[in-house]
Amino acid sequence: VASLLASGIILAAAGVSPQALLLELIPETLGNSQSLQSILIEVAPLIMVGLSASLAFKVRFWNLGIEGQMIWGGIAATAISLHHVGPPSLRLPLMLAAAAFAAASWIGISVVLKARYRVDEIISTLLLNYIAINFLHYLVFGPWVNPVDGMPHTSQYAEYERLPQLAPGLDASLLIAMLFVVGAAWLVHLSRAGGYMRFVHANRRMAQFVGVPVAGVTLLAVFLSGALSGIAGYSICAATEGRLTEGFYGGYGFSGVLIAFLAGNRPIAVTLVAVFVATLFVLGQSLQIFYQIPFAIVQLVQAIVVIFVAASEFWIRHRVRWSS
Amino acid sequence: MTMTFLTGWLASVPSVAVPYALAALGLIISERSGVLSLTAEGLMLVGALSGVAAHIFLGGHELIALVVAMVSASVVSILFGILVVVLRVNQVIAGLAMVFFCQGLTNLIGSVAGWTNHAVAGLGQFRLGSLADIPILGRIIFAQDLVVYLTIPIFALCWWILTRTNVGLRLRAVGENPEAADAVGINVVNYRFAAIMIGSALVGLAGGYLSIVSTKIWYPEMTGGRGWIAVALVIFARWQPWRALGGAILFGGIEAGIPQIAATGLHVNQYFVLMTPYAATLAVMIWGGRSMADVAAEPGALGQPFVREERR
Repeated sequence: VASLLASGIILAAAGVSPQALLLELIPETLGNSQSLQSILIEVAPLIMVGLSASLAFKVRFWNLGIEGQMIWGGIAATAISLHHVGPPSLRLPLMLAAAAFAAASWIGISVVLKARYRVDEIISTLLLNYIAINFLHYLVFGPWVNPVDGMPHTSQYAEYERLPQLAPGLDASLLIAMLFVVGAAWLVHLSRAGGYMRFVHANRRMAQFVGVPVAGVTLLAVFLSGALSGIAGYSICAATEGRLTEGFYGGYGFSGVLIAFLAGNRPIAVTLVAVFVATLFVLGQSLQIFYQIPFAIVQLVQAIVVIFVAASEFWIRHRVRWSS
Repeated sequence: MTMTFLTGWLASVPSVAVPYALAALGLIISERSGVLSLTAEGLMLVGALSGVAAHIFLGGHELIALVVAMVSASVVSILFGILVVVLRVNQVIAGLAMVFFCQGLTNLIGSVAGWTNHAVAGLGQFRLGSLADIPILGRIIFAQDLVVYLTIPIFALCWWILTRTNVGLRLRAVGENPEAADAVGINVVNYRFAAIMIGSALVGLAGGYLSIVSTKIWYPEMTGGRGWIAVALVIFARWQPWRALGGAILFGGIEAGIPQIAATGLHVNQYFVLMTPYAATLAVMIWGGRSMADVAAEPGALGQPFVREERR
């Protein structure tokens, strides 16, 4: 497993900066309390998208529309904020509920397309991402453009619409994410529905034959998956950004898939992998600032990690004997 | 007015349709061998970037640049081949990882090497003599670029190889039932590898066409989901080359119509306009899913790794 990290580092070094600089950068970033804080801030949405992907993959539904669902989560939460729905004390829960509902509805389109018209969810969730992105751009460049500076983001949320910092570096979004981890772990490992999900994952037809409510369990997992992605979008808007921005969803879609894959769809493991990916994110940000290396390097390293891990599974399961 | 609208529209359809057609054909070749290939979005980017790079370095030979685009996409696809054919990684995961790998790689290389927003000359019209001077029809049919004309023979060749030759028969056997193919002595691994590499070369050509001929420029993630639309097109075409060509022309018609309609002064918000290719793809998929009864057109072993000596 160490080799995969090394490969990423070598690649970055070979591509751009001398290795020594990079070896300085990593301790610099990780030893710094401010970057540790930014890692903690990044972890929360990553946990949520990781759980989202895990739940969908658990019932073999390829939810590749995480970014689209995040966008709808952000849009719905912002709509509540802009139209001042509900009293200020209830504003945050209302925004969360709206985000979850909007995102679950968005994934619902793919569910309907699959169930009624046999449109593969891989295609439909991906294509719906592009539609959601364009709709977001329409809003932030058009009707929701910031009236003060004319920049492509909405005006700032009010103070009571933002997730509070409980302690320095400890964001309320992280707390919410941890609650979701516990909830998802209970659902997947302890509840009856989780047992059904394992059955559906192992063999959908067989599950049907022995009387597992396949459709119900699948729908439950898929809608929860959509809602979690929506809440991830909401938490970025309400905690980190404080407004709806043009590109807040960037990079989370693939990260969710990657986290679920590396964690083997297990909620507790999702948390650990999310910390690793958050570290990558923050490293990527400092690379971008100090060395003008595009953030795409993070995406590249993530892809290399997936490729390495996927490839290494073969060597774990098989032993190769060279016959002469 | 209507006439200029129609000729302008129809004349621009082929160049929009060509990337879809070539990418879909490439995917069909690989999927007919039983390898579910979601890689198109990434490999098109590889083709697009390497095409522009070759164009800059080799002094503006468009055709050489297109060949370079094909070769580099094919080379990158070796990695995908190793993952899914040799190491039997889940083909969805491997395909996705490849797309994000290619997105990250091309984005990084393009911006570090300074190839972003570097304009290239592009491929000129290839006027078929005096035929191009025929009013209206000349502009639509006989004044396209070379790749448009090459697309038809490429399709014919691939269709002929797939359906009328021994090689094609074996390839389809590998995709339908690898155990049986293996039993009669066909090397499943070699056929799948070859199918991936040849198919990816066509996907790379589609990407190179996008950057060198259509936009004449490289920018990160310039394919904008066209690879995914090609994947959808393959399903819509039920893995039949000619149907894929028809589907590509349909998509090309829709996408080419958008700027033409905008030019007539009809005012629609640009972001809704930008959504139409994706919405149209979904609509076409719905229509296809409704009217198509023969789900069996899908290659039998699509997405399944082949493990020799494993009982199923």
